[in-house]
Amino acid sequence: MGSKFNKELKTLVVDKVISPELADKIEQYYATKDIGKSNKLFMIFGIFGALLVGAGIILMLAHNWDDFSKTIKTILAFVPLLIGQLFTGFSILKEKSRTWKEASGTFLFFSVGACIALISQVYNIPGELGSYLLSWIVLCLPLVYLLRSNAVTLLIVLLSTYYAVEVGLWNYRSTKTPWLYIVFFIAILPHYWILLKNNVTSNTISIFNWILPASIAIALSAFIGNTGNLAFVMYITLFGLLYSIGRLAIFKELRTLRNGYLIIGSLGTVVSLMIFTFRWIWDEFPHKFGYQFEELYIVIGLLLMTITVLGYLFLKKGWRSINLFQIAWIIFLFVYFLLPGVKVLPVVLMNLLVLTLGVSAIKIGADKFNFGILNYGLLIISVLIVCRFFDTGMSFVVRGILFVLVGTGFFATNYIMLKRQQKFKKQIKDLQV
Amino acid sequence: MKTIHLFIGFIVLTLVQIFVPVQMIWEQEDVLTSGEMYKFKTRPVDPTDPFRGKYITLQYEMNSFTNAGLPYVQGDEILVYIEKDVDGFAKAVRVSKTPLDIDTDYVIAKVTSNYKEVVNFELPFNRFYMEETKAYDAEKAYRQTNRNNLEDNVYAVVHIKEGRSVLKEVIIDGVPIQEYVEK
Repeated sequence: MGSKFNKELKTLVVDKVISPELADKIEQYYATKDIGKSNKLFMIFGIFGALLVGAGIILMLAHNWDDFSKTIKTILAFVPLLIGQLFTGFSILKEKSRTWKEASGTFLFFSVGACIALISQVYNIPGELGSYLLSWIVLCLPLVYLLRSNAVTLLIVLLSTYYAVEVGLWNYRSTKTPWLYIVFFIAILPHYWILLKNNVTSNTISIFNWILPASIAIALSAFIGNTGNLAFVMYITLFGLLYSIGRLAIFKELRTLRNGYLIIGSLGTVVSLMIFTFRWIWDEFPHKFGYQFEELYIVIGLLLMTITVLGYLFLKKGWRSINLFQIAWIIFLFVYFLLPGVKVLPVVLMNLLVLTLGVSAIKIGADKFNFGILNYGLLIISVLIVCRFFDTGMSFVVRGILFVLVGTGFFATNYIMLKRQQKFKKQIKDLQV
Repeated sequence: MKTIHLFIGFIVLTLVQIFVPVQMIWEQEDVLTSGEMYKFKTRPVDPTDPFRGKYITLQYEMNSFTNAGLPYVQGDEILVYIEKDVDGFAKAVRVSKTPLDIDTDYVIAKVTSNYKEVVNFELPFNRFYMEETKAYDAEKAYRQTNRNNLEDNVYAVVHIKEGRSVLKEVIIDGVPIQEYVEK
């Protein structure tokens, strides 16, 4: 326990705020609570240690020691693998602590990668990077459930994302679509679900709440076809889906910053829609829709999921609980598919949509007394106005006046809310007295 | 789940984790020991792989076939039947989408383009892993030999068996490329 905390306790006892007995009790409570805490720290160091050693082995083997004979190289490939398996087997059989399982699992994960890498090296096995990553993921995926390891799960998610992007995006010669990414993603979901059920406010969950939506958003780029006509449809629908997932009851206890779904969904929606407030993007619009089937499947899948989640929220909480961020994608899709030939209307509608999103964020912020969300809304409106400066021929005076108005708006709204909050607090205080 | 079940599951996983690399070794060794050896004229360049280290990419002289017949699409896998010329270098004699009933070795290549009767393809054994300090030197060494009109002396030694191929060595001027760059 920190000495500062103990000092505070003593001051409280001296000032007769709490009794000495209560101070002892508090001290004891935190002392026992800390036992778990140091374990956690130990676990984090264990995982990082295993991660660094494992990655170090891969790098050392990648040097390719051509003075060593084939036999020595082969033995070298299997030594880390067997060590990793031994430790992992030991921690399962002896039911060792989570630290053991996480650390040994992490090490085994890397030693599998090192082993197949070295063998590909020795025999110059062709295979692109994608196929190597694929075998690595498949060989380690069961560890997620055998060890119930969060570290391995995270590594699998990261590697799958890498795989998707490598196969579908970076490798220009590859014509393949990384469908297996979806399989890997679904495969780790039960583990995530169990974590969610156990303790939704834990730090691990917060990490997953950011990594999982980020992974989907990155990997989705690998599914865009050659023409890319449906890219924005895919992304805006996805952001709508992520936002709605973030509003599910299970995440309600979370602070906004720990809810990656909500933030990625909201920012993604605003940024993508902001692009469509420009005139040039509608001018460059293709006259005919050409798309590939893979894109279409993804779009249909995303639409079905988004509608399901939205429908669920609607049934559970009623339509009043649904805000504009959750349905912005529907409005976008209507405009995108029904009005592409019309000259100015879509641009105007998109500008209105983003403006309304900004206003609704301000309203949400004001209702919740959340300065972050309030200013986010103001920021959306300001960026929208700044963007309009680029493609309209407004005079400098008008632009200047607009800027001054927005700036004043920032001050005014924050000030009003601060006042309201103080008043509210005072009311509560009066009630308590 | 009980510990013992988890452990049994884990043992199965370890066996798979060992079996896969062993199987990789077995397949390669099989081709190296009992496959037929061919020489392919080639040209090395120097990229890198984040996990498996430095390698040189080999661009082969044998990368197209005329009078291929059927239209091929980029990305198709085709069987390229090969024979040895008088100097022992491989030359393509036929290409086909499906296995032919002839007693000739073949490699499985990927179609890169198809224009009229000419089909261009990429041979699978185009990566040769090298020690990190040597890969770039290898590319330089090749340019050197090219300047001295010795490009005929750069070739890859590949063992082939039933469509499977293992790249054993890259030879410049009669010596393996690793030794050549040390000179």
